[in-house]
Amino acid sequence: MKTFEEKWTAWLDGQLSGRELSEFEASLPDKAAAEAEKAGARKLGALLKRELGVSALTNEEFFSHQLRERMMKESRVPSAEREAKASTWWTIPRLLWTGTASLAVFLIFTIFVIRDKNPAEESQYLTQILNARVDPVVSPNATVSMFEVKQDRVTVLWTEGLQSLPADYAAK
Amino acid sequence: MGRSLAFLIPFVSLIAGAVSALQGAETVWSGLVIAENVAQPQPIPPELTRIEGSLKKFFGYNQFQVIGQSQKTLKTGQEDWLATSKFFGLHVDSQGESAAGYVLSLKLYKEKELLLETDAKLSKRSPLVIKGPQVGSGQLLLVLVIQ
Repeated sequence: MKTFEEKWTAWLDGQLSGRELSEFEASLPDKAAAEAEKAGARKLGALLKRELGVSALTNEEFFSHQLRERMMKESRVPSAEREAKASTWWTIPRLLWTGTASLAVFLIFTIFVIRDKNPAEESQYLTQILNARVDPVVSPNATVSMFEVKQDRVTVLWTEGLQSLPADYAAK
Repeated sequence: MGRSLAFLIPFVSLIAGAVSALQGAETVWSGLVIAENVAQPQPIPPELTRIEGSLKKFFGYNQFQVIGQSQKTLKTGQEDWLATSKFFGLHVDSQGESAAGYVLSLKLYKEKELLLETDAKLSKRSPLVIKGPQVGSGQLLLVLVIQ
């Protein structure tokens, strides 16, 4: 047994027919008002359909917005990857550290090389006189001797008996 | 700041390398020096400053004056040159370079007369002083220094 509300809803939707329809319409206290209400309900239904259509459009737009955002994200990812690829390992701080480390290694090697070299050079530290002679005709009694002053690192070739010369020979 | 430092470090390294490369060419100063004892001695020439103590100690003079000199930059180590005064001439013939210095052949002339001849291996850190003849009250000295 349908209640009045159920029958009213069915009547508004145009789902009552035959004897049920005539009985229901006969039961209505004001049929004109009920018809007006029915027309209003139909308008409302049409309006809702339209609104639902608009709502579907909004969803479309929403999805398309989401799609656009996704596409933009995807297009952003490769550019970030490109940036990552473009930036090299040689950043400024790393370049500085590498330069400093290279200089340090160079200095260490230099010190080692100099240390290794010094003992060999010690024997050749001072100037060496290989030979010396004076003209026996000009200075028959001349002698030569040589000595090294290690403290002052000076090598001296000492001659004795060379012919003495007048002061005029000191001229520039 | 960081970027300029990054440029500065290689730049300094290059300069250091260039300087060490230039150190290969050395200059030999050769001088004819008259050593004397005088009441008011003149200041010692700058080329002799580093051996002033040795000169005064060994030769016993208080004044050293340069009467002739030559400054030769050696590039191949095979160069020769002459340091002259009015009457004396010192001919230096460099016959090669070794790690320790240069092999030099030295000849002292009085005008055209050869007074003294010697061969020496001149060390880069050790000057050579040769006692020459007595000149007046002083003494002729020959000095060779790698600068």
